[in-house]
Amino acid sequence: MRILRVTAAAAWFAAATLGAVCSAAQAEDAAAGDAAHGKVVFLKEQCFTCHGRSGQGGAYNGPAPILAQTALPLEAFRAQVRNPVNDMPAYSDAVLSDKDIADIYAFVKSLPGSRSPKDIPILNN
Amino acid sequence: MSKGRNGSSRRNFLKNAGLVGAAAASAVTPPVAADAAPAGPLSKKALPPGPRQIAAETMAPANDPVNQTSSGGDFMVDVLKTLDIDYLTINCASSYRGLHEAVVNHGGNTKPEIITCVHEDIAVHMGQGYAKIEGKPLAMACHGVVGLQHATMAMYNAWCDRVPVLVFGGNIMEADKRAPGAEWLHAGVDIGQIVREFTKWDDQPASLQHFGESVVRAYKIACTPPMGPVFIALDGELQENPIANRKALRIPKFEPVIPPQGDAGALAEAAKLLVNAQNPVIICDRMARTPAGMGHLVALAEALQCAVIDNAGRMNFPSRHPLNQSFRRAIIGQADVILAIEMNDLWGALSHFHDRIVRTSGPATKPGAKIITLGVRDLYLKANYQDFGRWHDVDLDIAGDGEASLPALTEAVLKLTSSDRKSAFAERGRKLAAAHQAMVERSKVDATIGWDSSPITTARMCAEVYNQIKDEDWSLVGTAIRLSWMHRLWDFKKPYQWNGGSGGAGVGYNLPASIGAALANKKHGRFTVAFGGDGDFMFNPGALWTAAHHNIPILYIVHNNRAYHQEYMYLAAMAARHGRGVDKMDIGTTIKDPNIDYATVARGMGAHGEGPITDPKDLAPALTRAIAAVKAGGPAVVDVVTDPR
Repeated sequence: MRILRVTAAAAWFAAATLGAVCSAAQAEDAAAGDAAHGKVVFLKEQCFTCHGRSGQGGAYNGPAPILAQTALPLEAFRAQVRNPVNDMPAYSDAVLSDKDIADIYAFVKSLPGSRSPKDIPILNN
Repeated sequence: MSKGRNGSSRRNFLKNAGLVGAAAASAVTPPVAADAAPAGPLSKKALPPGPRQIAAETMAPANDPVNQTSSGGDFMVDVLKTLDIDYLTINCASSYRGLHEAVVNHGGNTKPEIITCVHEDIAVHMGQGYAKIEGKPLAMACHGVVGLQHATMAMYNAWCDRVPVLVFGGNIMEADKRAPGAEWLHAGVDIGQIVREFTKWDDQPASLQHFGESVVRAYKIACTPPMGPVFIALDGELQENPIANRKALRIPKFEPVIPPQGDAGALAEAAKLLVNAQNPVIICDRMARTPAGMGHLVALAEALQCAVIDNAGRMNFPSRHPLNQSFRRAIIGQADVILAIEMNDLWGALSHFHDRIVRTSGPATKPGAKIITLGVRDLYLKANYQDFGRWHDVDLDIAGDGEASLPALTEAVLKLTSSDRKSAFAERGRKLAAAHQAMVERSKVDATIGWDSSPITTARMCAEVYNQIKDEDWSLVGTAIRLSWMHRLWDFKKPYQWNGGSGGAGVGYNLPASIGAALANKKHGRFTVAFGGDGDFMFNPGALWTAAHHNIPILYIVHNNRAYHQEYMYLAAMAARHGRGVDKMDIGTTIKDPNIDYATVARGMGAHGEGPITDPKDLAPALTRAIAAVKAGGPAVVDVVTDPR
């Protein structure tokens, strides 16, 4: 069994990295959405099945990226949902409105994300 | 299936040797009935039976012995003993009752010892897991028709995984010897036909001498790389009938094949390419087949100070070795020379593939990268099932067993390494070590996300388990689909600490194969642990009974996401293509309503059961209790309700 599969995930990860420089714009993007409704949609539309309920990431055909505290700007986030790179299913506006996407974005931005593993002794075995 | 059998029609065959009892008395004149009823009022209508009639109904007929002092089954056991086969996993069946009895009584139920299984799929999968830890096959026996049909899935997994299992199937070859009913349903002209496309070899011996030679041959073929399952049909007459002259039968001598080493000139050419490369990468899958294999690969990687990507088909490379770059696969795109050793799917490993409406693929390697392959997998292929994977161009294709060839390749590399190259290698090694360490730290950081969530994250599940077994002499022998946290977080460094996956991706492997591996680990005193999905668990839950019955210690963690989750995601992808929404994807893909209580199932099989655990704070105490049960000598199941991936 192969643990991971080679995919074109590089583009997705690269976008995530570039997005880190746009933090001010991201804060505005996140503020524009309803995180509470975003959580409802995130679960209803099965986003968690690949990305995890805590946005911790997971796997589909290849690695599914971490979404908690995503560094992507909303525009790039929406583009990935509408016309994704790699094998992620595309979500049309018939299924997810732009507002839904903005709300999901606000939700994943609100997730606490990672913390220092030094605070969790069993991760240092 | 029927276990009953009427052997009366077969007894006229018994006329040669080893017969005692009634047959010896067959010449005795039947006694006259002294108490024959006198003629009475009804005597004109129904006369009482006379002496001949009584004799005919109460005496065994001539040539119908009731005892014997030898059997073909005894000889078969003698053959198995010479092969040092430790276990015979079985689901009992009348078509091999002669062998079964001989194993128990003639063989003393040792070498092989019978392991009782409640399904043939379990019996073969146990053999697959066992062989990958113990380094040798066990034997399995089943009904040759209905049992073998149950066994096929496991045999296909073993075939794809290149693992030896010696499978026996009972049959009654001669039509005039079969009893009415089930023996006809359970007989075939060529019972091996159903598994011939995924076994290395099969035979149906017609004599005991033939049996001896075929079993030794089958064992040898199974154990010769590329290894694989073999099948032997066992004729019922051959098992049960007395042996005319045991001394005339010879048990052939078994001598293992020395695995072929790659051509010396080709290995020298490979060494030249690797030494001169700027960014060589080694990628391997089912490379290590003995405890020495991992050390050989470490020696080559360290000689080159190059990246190693372990596809984890076996325990090939230590997880925390600084050159281990298994979770940095993008490095393949930087390689100018790739050495691929015992790969199962070379094309898949070196390509991008996109599972979209229009499926596309392309190389993950950079243009001009030289690809060297070393292995024996392609030396034995079949046509129907496509487990050989897609064609991939290579520049140097070396036919030779990977493990056997590595020492010579390493020696050639060392000879060609100048001091300048050695300095360059050292610098390369430093960069790779830094990248490896960053990857390890990244994994730890990623594992913290959702640490206190319920359902429990798979990262926390794996970390909690490792925390409690890390000081044991542990052996991880199973994982769920795409569950890789163990390889990201745990320190794998011993040859038995991992044994690969199912091979054929046939669901139902994980629980019985893990128990088979635990059977092998038991005599070495190792602590066996395995993870498995809930979907896989439900294919063969009866394997737990075998573990409980035979006192096989194993800690089994059910990664319970209450779904066939990979299929769940595929269904969502199909719906998304149509823009139909994904809110109905649980139909046909989930295992809920009602939720299955795996701990209760485990307890019903005689195992220790914990769970379902939904709060991460409850996981550590449950693991502590389960580990105590394992150390007491039995199986324990911990049902962990998890996030999907």
